[in-house]
Amino acid sequence: MSRTASAEQAEAVAGTGSEVPAIATSGLHKAYGARVALHDLTLRVQPGEVFGFLGPNGAGKTTAMKILLGLVRPSGGEALVFDRPPAEPAARRRVGYLPEHFRFQEWATGEELLDFHGRLAGMGAPERAGRIPELLERVGLAGRGGERVRRYSKGMTQRLGLALALLHRPDLVLLDEPTSALDPVGRREVRELVRELADAGVTVFLNSHLLTEVEAVCDRVAIVSQGRVVASGPLDDLAGAVTQLRVLADRVDRQLLALLGRHGEVARVEGTAVTLAVDTLDVAPDLARLLVTSGYRLYGLVPVQRSLEDIFVDLVGEVREG
Amino acid sequence: MSVLVVARWTVLEARRRRLLLAGVVLSVAFVALFVVGFYLLYRTQQRALLEEQATGAGPPGGFDAREELLAMSTILVILGLYGVQFLAALLGLFLGVASVSPEIDSGALHAVLARPLSRLQYLLGRFLALAGLLAAYVVVMSGALLLTARVVAGYQPGDALRVVGLMILQVLILLAVSLLGSTVLPTLANGVVMLVLFGLAWLGGIIGFVGTIPPGNELMANLGTAVSLLLPADAVWRGASYYVLPPSFLVATSFAGGGGDLEFGLPFGSTTPMAPAMLAWALAYPVACLTLAVAAFRRRDL
Repeated sequence: MSRTASAEQAEAVAGTGSEVPAIATSGLHKAYGARVALHDLTLRVQPGEVFGFLGPNGAGKTTAMKILLGLVRPSGGEALVFDRPPAEPAARRRVGYLPEHFRFQEWATGEELLDFHGRLAGMGAPERAGRIPELLERVGLAGRGGERVRRYSKGMTQRLGLALALLHRPDLVLLDEPTSALDPVGRREVRELVRELADAGVTVFLNSHLLTEVEAVCDRVAIVSQGRVVASGPLDDLAGAVTQLRVLADRVDRQLLALLGRHGEVARVEGTAVTLAVDTLDVAPDLARLLVTSGYRLYGLVPVQRSLEDIFVDLVGEVREG
Repeated sequence: MSVLVVARWTVLEARRRRLLLAGVVLSVAFVALFVVGFYLLYRTQQRALLEEQATGAGPPGGFDAREELLAMSTILVILGLYGVQFLAALLGLFLGVASVSPEIDSGALHAVLARPLSRLQYLLGRFLALAGLLAAYVVVMSGALLLTARVVAGYQPGDALRVVGLMILQVLILLAVSLLGSTVLPTLANGVVMLVLFGLAWLGGIIGFVGTIPPGNELMANLGTAVSLLLPADAVWRGASYYVLPPSFLVATSFAGGGGDLEFGLPFGSTTPMAPAMLAWALAYPVACLTLAVAAFRRRDL
């Protein structure tokens, strides 16, 4: 895999705008005793970007996010949020956060919780009075704000968490697995919400192990595994890095594989379908002609874009084996 | 500002969790019991003494009826206040133990501390709200007891303000130390540690008291002091109890001196004021606990 990220690459991919980045980390490291949660994380997220932080459970995603919020102290390296260290309370003024487990004070009502957080975020009384009902409505909790959080379902609690994260109209929103408790409809609503935020110029940093979610909304992704970034870049670049052709013939034999091998690298053989990794799709017409003249009956020759899932499984698998 | 927001939230929490309601109901019951008990005992004793006096069968060479009634009132008031300080102390410990670590364990703190709120502000808000509730509790309860004694028996403590002030200090000490524990220990472990410390401080007071029983035992007295340094809660209560004693009673005590057969040395109170050094230590103690709590909490990963 040529996209294994190093610090330089991450920066190159992110571009070098003169704008203050929403998030900038360099060599971020966190160890809990002997266990290293995060190795050398270097990231740059520009304002207005929707950034997907992708990785299996336990990859260090939540640790990274907590460092960006000042909840966890890094053991090494540096993190900056809008150019300020997140341990400073003022640095968190423009930041909204949905925690992974979205646990809130259960004795309070949804409205009380929003009011408390609004006060902490420095919102005035009129602003809170306008914003809280509007947000409850937006996340689908209209009419439920007066109930205790204890009585909320998991999905409702996560929706409340989203409202809390967006309460003070932050410039940067950190969402840690924002749809883990939601049904498919809820997931789609969150995707729409993220797109709306992006349209409004809000930077979104999304932790997820749900590939479709990331694929649907993110401009750029970083894939982390065991505390390291194993790939990062714009989604299209990552997904398009390797092009594949799916060849459907009447039979698969050694001669066919040899023929195909001349034009690319055979990735998989499933029944009479062969997946061939090629440098460019331009080989397809030639390949079709060659197969037909060699006596094969060709049922299909389809370019395949690799899904994020394929890339993810390849990368994460490599790291685990290595 | 943020400190006040957290403090307000903490008071709301106490209300919502029915802590205030439970506290008020139990306290009203306690005060009612004291009022009834004090009134009945006082009246009965008063009547008996008046009858004795009328038949000329007063105690030989001892106090007259008024002094004896005063002695009884004093003991009852000290016992009542001892109950108040015990309840307030347990409340302080529980509130302190429940102040931070349960919110860390449940994860409810993550969203809160991700706000532009420093850990110092959070801890200070928590402490101030709980301290306010506890102080109000002590004022109302001890005020009710002292008022009862005054109305029923015309009882005047040596210095009511100092009594209440020191009792508040005692509760703040316990709140601060258990809040410190709450930032570094899991809830249950902290609860156990705090109860042991509290028991130890109480035992230290008893040991110190035994050490003062004539002819006196310096080693035991020192041991008591050493334990008090670890947690000066009981020492502060003893300091408070000294000011419960009415001035005339103090005089009588010193006259009764060595040969007196009355129980002037109270195991749960003190007939001597608090040493200034101990008072200084007791005042510094909650400040030190809070400072340590902030330092520890700042370093803690959530």
